[in-house]
Amino acid sequence: MTERHEALGRALLWLAVAAIVVFCLFPFYWLINTSLKTGTDLSSANLVPPHPTLDNYTSIFKDSAFTMALRNSAIVAGSVTVLSLLIGSFAGYALARLHLPFKFLILAILLSISTFPPIAIAAPVFEIWTEIGLYNTYPGLILPSLAFGLPLTVYILASFFRDIPRELEEAALIDGATRFQAFRKIVIPLAAPGVVTAGLLVFIFAWNEFLFAITLTSTPDRRPVPAAIAFFTGSTQFEIPLGTISAASVVVTIPLIVMVLIFQRRIVAGLTAGAVKG
Amino acid sequence: MASQDRSNARYLTALGVCVAALGLASCGGGGSSGGGSEAKTLEPSDAKGASGEVTWCIGKDTSGAFKTAVENFNQQNPKLEAKLVELPENADLQREQQIQRLRAESSECDVLGMDVIWTAEYAASGWLYNLTPAVEAHESEFISSTVETAEYEGKKWALPFNTNAGFLYYRTNEVPKAPTTWEQVYNDAQEKNGLVYQGERYEGLTVNFLELLYSAGGKVLSEDGKTVEINSPQTREVLEFMRKGIGDGAVPKAVTTYEEESSRRAFEAGHATFMRNWPYAYALGKESSIANEFAVAKFPGYAGNEGAGVVGGYNLGISAYTDNPDGSLAFAEFLTTEPVQKEMFLKATLPAVATAVYEDPEVKKEIPFTEELLQAVEQAQARPVSPVYTEISEAIYDNVFEALNDRESADSATSKMSSEIEGALQRF
Amino acid sequence: MEARAARLRPARRARRSVFRGERRLGAAMLAPSLAVIALVAAYPIAYAVWLSLNEYSVITPGLSRFVGLDNYREALGSSAFWEAMETTVLFTVVSVGLELVIGLGMALVMHRAFRGRALLRAVVLVPWAILTVVTAITWRTIFEPELGFVNTVLSSLGLPGGDVVWLGEEGYALAAMILADVWKTAPFMALLLLAGLQGIPEDLYDAAKVDGAGTWQRFRSITLPLLVPAITVALIFRTLDALRVFDLPYVLTKGANGTETLSLIAQRELVTNRNTGLGSALAVLTFITVMGVSFLYIRFVGGNIRALTEEEQ
Repeated sequence: MTERHEALGRALLWLAVAAIVVFCLFPFYWLINTSLKTGTDLSSANLVPPHPTLDNYTSIFKDSAFTMALRNSAIVAGSVTVLSLLIGSFAGYALARLHLPFKFLILAILLSISTFPPIAIAAPVFEIWTEIGLYNTYPGLILPSLAFGLPLTVYILASFFRDIPRELEEAALIDGATRFQAFRKIVIPLAAPGVVTAGLLVFIFAWNEFLFAITLTSTPDRRPVPAAIAFFTGSTQFEIPLGTISAASVVVTIPLIVMVLIFQRRIVAGLTAGAVKG
Repeated sequence: MASQDRSNARYLTALGVCVAALGLASCGGGGSSGGGSEAKTLEPSDAKGASGEVTWCIGKDTSGAFKTAVENFNQQNPKLEAKLVELPENADLQREQQIQRLRAESSECDVLGMDVIWTAEYAASGWLYNLTPAVEAHESEFISSTVETAEYEGKKWALPFNTNAGFLYYRTNEVPKAPTTWEQVYNDAQEKNGLVYQGERYEGLTVNFLELLYSAGGKVLSEDGKTVEINSPQTREVLEFMRKGIGDGAVPKAVTTYEEESSRRAFEAGHATFMRNWPYAYALGKESSIANEFAVAKFPGYAGNEGAGVVGGYNLGISAYTDNPDGSLAFAEFLTTEPVQKEMFLKATLPAVATAVYEDPEVKKEIPFTEELLQAVEQAQARPVSPVYTEISEAIYDNVFEALNDRESADSATSKMSSEIEGALQRF
Repeated sequence: MEARAARLRPARRARRSVFRGERRLGAAMLAPSLAVIALVAAYPIAYAVWLSLNEYSVITPGLSRFVGLDNYREALGSSAFWEAMETTVLFTVVSVGLELVIGLGMALVMHRAFRGRALLRAVVLVPWAILTVVTAITWRTIFEPELGFVNTVLSSLGLPGGDVVWLGEEGYALAAMILADVWKTAPFMALLLLAGLQGIPEDLYDAAKVDGAGTWQRFRSITLPLLVPAITVALIFRTLDALRVFDLPYVLTKGANGTETLSLIAQRELVTNRNTGLGSALAVLTFITVMGVSFLYIRFVGGNIRALTEEEQ
C-alpha cells in the first residue's frame, strides 16, 4: 500500500516540478526563440525559429553602444551593491543593536522612502544634478539607486544582526574589543547569508533600474542597459525591434542567472533567519 | 538630562533641515526665468559667418543619413562643427528628453528635431527662437502645408525638415481600383477582408479620426485656437461611422490594439484588404509576400467632400538656451537645402519638404509614389495648434477609443471630448 | 544606605557612559545612510510635495501660483482617480493573492528533497531576473491578436478563444496583466516562503505524524502558523510594489481597457501633460495610499518590524 502511495507521490512531485519549470522558463524560452528570428519570422508564433540566425546578436554588438551599456550597468550596479552593503550594514547594526532614540521612527522613514513613486522626483533630481554637475556621470546614477535600495538592505541586514546571539558580541567586548571591532569581526561573518541575500537583491534592483537610467544620462558612454534598450532601433521609426531587444535581454539575463546559481544556496539560507525569527 | 537635551537638539536640527529644504524648494519653484519675455528673432543674415559648435538633438538615426548630413555640413563649413546627439526612437520619449533639458535651461541641444505637433507647446513656453524671417526667406521652396505646422500666433518658430501624410493601401488582387469614398471603402471591406488602421488609445488614433473628421468638414478648434468647435454634427457622424465599421465587421475588433507596425503586419499577412498607414510601409510591403499584390492611393473623400489627410513629420527649432544661435541657424538651413532633402528622402525614406525634390527624376525612379505623396501632403491639414495639444489629443483619443469599443455612444463621446478640450484650454 | 547608594552610582554612571558611547557610534553608523537618503530622496520628495501645492502655467513659462490643496481636491474629485484606485487595488489583491498561493505551492515542491533541487531554485529565479520592461514586451507579443502565440495555439487546437483580442477587452486585459505579473514574481515569493519552510524543525512533523495527524492537518497546524512571519515579509514588499505597478500596464495596453493604475495617471499628468502641480499631487496621493497599506500591515500582522527596533532589556 505505502509503496504504491510513495510511487504515486513521487510521480506527482515530478509532475509538479515539470509544471514549475515550464511555467518559469516558457517566456524566457520565448525570448531566446524571438532573439533567433529576424524579419517577418518575428511576427509569427512559431515555437521554433523557422530560419534561426545569430544576426540579432551580431547586430547588437556591432556598434559599441551596447557593450558600453553593459560596462556602465556593471559599474553602477556593482558600486550600488558594495556601497549599499557597506553603509547599509552600519545602519542595520545601529538599529538592531545600539541604544538610540527614535529608532522606530528612523526605520519607518527609511522604509517609507522606498515607497515614494520615483517618477515624481525624477525631474527634481535631474535639475539638482544639472546644477551640481552630476548629470551624465557615474555618481549621478549610483546615488539614486543607492537611496532606493538602502531601505531594503538595512531591513534585511538588521533582521539578521538581530538573530545573532548577543553573547558572542558580549564575549568579545569583555575581551577588550570595541563595539566596532565586534561588529566587524563577529557579526558580519555570522550574518554572511544575509549579506549575500541583500547584496543579490540590491544588485538585481540596481541592474533593472530604468527611470533614473534614462533621465540622468545623455550619452552612450554612461547609459546603462535598460535605458540603452530604449534606444534600440528597428528599421523604421514605428518598429519595436523585437529581435534585437530579445537578444539583448538574453545577453543581460544570463550573467544574473549564473550569479544566482553560484549564490543560491546562500540566498535561501539567508532569507530564512530574518523571516522566520523576525 | 544631558542626553535628553542632545536628542532634543538632534530632533530640532532634523526639523530645521526639513523646513530649510522646503524654503529652498519654494524659492526654486516659483517665478524663475522667462515669465513672458519676448522671444528673440533670428535673421537669415545672422547665419553668415557663424562659427563654433552646434549640437543637433533628434531621434535615432536609423539609416545613417543624419550622420552623413552632419559630415557633409562640417566639410562645407570649416568654421563650424556640428554634432549629432541621438534621442530614443519613440517620439514621446524624445519629447520628454527635450523638455527636460529645456526646463533646466540647458545649452546641450542647439537644434531640436521636433515632431510637428510640438511647435505650439515649445513656442508658448518660450523655448524657441522666432524664425519668421528665415522661414519666409525660403517659404516658396516648401510645401505650404508643412510651413503651417511651424506657425503659432502668426509667427514661424521652426524650419520644416521632413513631412508625412497617410495613404490608403489596398490589395490589387481583391480590389482592382481604390474606392474614391470612405463609405465605399467600408462597404468593400465588409464584403472582402476588412480594413485595418491604428486604433489603439494613442496619438495615432487621433490622426486616424481627424482624417475622417477633416474630410467631413469638421474642426476641433476655431482658427484662433481659442474656441472648441468639435461638438458638431460632423463629429457625431464620423464617430458613429467608425463605431459601426467595427460593429458590422468591416473593421476587425483587433484594430483597437493596433499601432502602425501591428496594422502593417496584419495587412502583409493577408488579413485585410485595406490599410491606412504612412508611406514607410510601402517599402516594407515590397519586401514581403504580398509585394506584387498591393498599391497605394491618396485618401478617399467622405460625405461627398474631398479626402483630407493629417500632416506628420518633423521640424527644426532652435533652442532659446543655445550658446550658438547663428551656427544653429546655418545648420538648420543646410538641412533644408535640396541635396540634403533628396538624400533624406532616398536613404531614410523621410519625405522631403522641398517641392523641387519631387520633380527630381532620380527620386521619381526610386520612389514610385512621389506623385501621390506630394498630393497627399498638399491636401493634408495640420492637427489643432495649441500649447496644450497633448491634452487635446488625449481628450480625442480617449473618447474615440471608448466609442470604437462600443462603451460610449457617439453623442456622449462627442460631448465628453468637447468638455475635456475646454478644460484643457482653460489651463492657465 | 549611603554606602549602598554610593556603590550603585558608579554602575549607573558606567551604563550611562556606555549609552553615550553607543549613541555616538550609532549616530556615526547611521549618518552615511541618512545622508544619502536626505540628499537624493528626502529633499526631492519634499520638493515634490511643494510642487503639488502649486499650479504651473503651460502658457507662460516660469509662472506659478500657490493653490494650496486645490490639486488634491481636483484629483480626489475626478472619476479617473477613483477608477485607477479601484483598478490598482483589484490588481494588487488578486495578483498578490495568486502569487502567494502559487508561490507557496512552488515552495512546498522545492522543499522536498530530490536531485536537481539546486538547479530548480535557479530556474525559479529566472522570471525575476529578466528586465521588467522586457517582460512586458514579451507578454505583449504572446497576447497579440491573430498572430500572437496564445491565439495561434488556441486556433490550431480548435479551442475557443482563438479570436479573442485579449488586450483589447475589458476584463481580459487586466487578467493578462495579472498573469504577467504573477509569472514574474511568484517565484520570488516562492523563495521567501521556501526559506521560511526550511526553518521549521522536522521533529515537529515527526511528532505530529506519531500522533496520527494527516498531511492536511500537519500543514494547517504546523506549517502555516510557523510560516506567518515569512508570509508577512513577502506580502508587505510585494503589496507595496504591486500598488505602484507601471511598466506592465504601460507596455501592454497603455492603460486602456480597464488597466489604468495610479502610477499611470500620475505619469500622464506629470510627464505627458506637464501638469506638474496635479501630477505631483497624484504621486503624493499614491504614496499616501501605499503608506497607509503598509501601516495596516505593520499594525495587524507585522510584529517583527517593530520588534526589530525594540530595546532589549
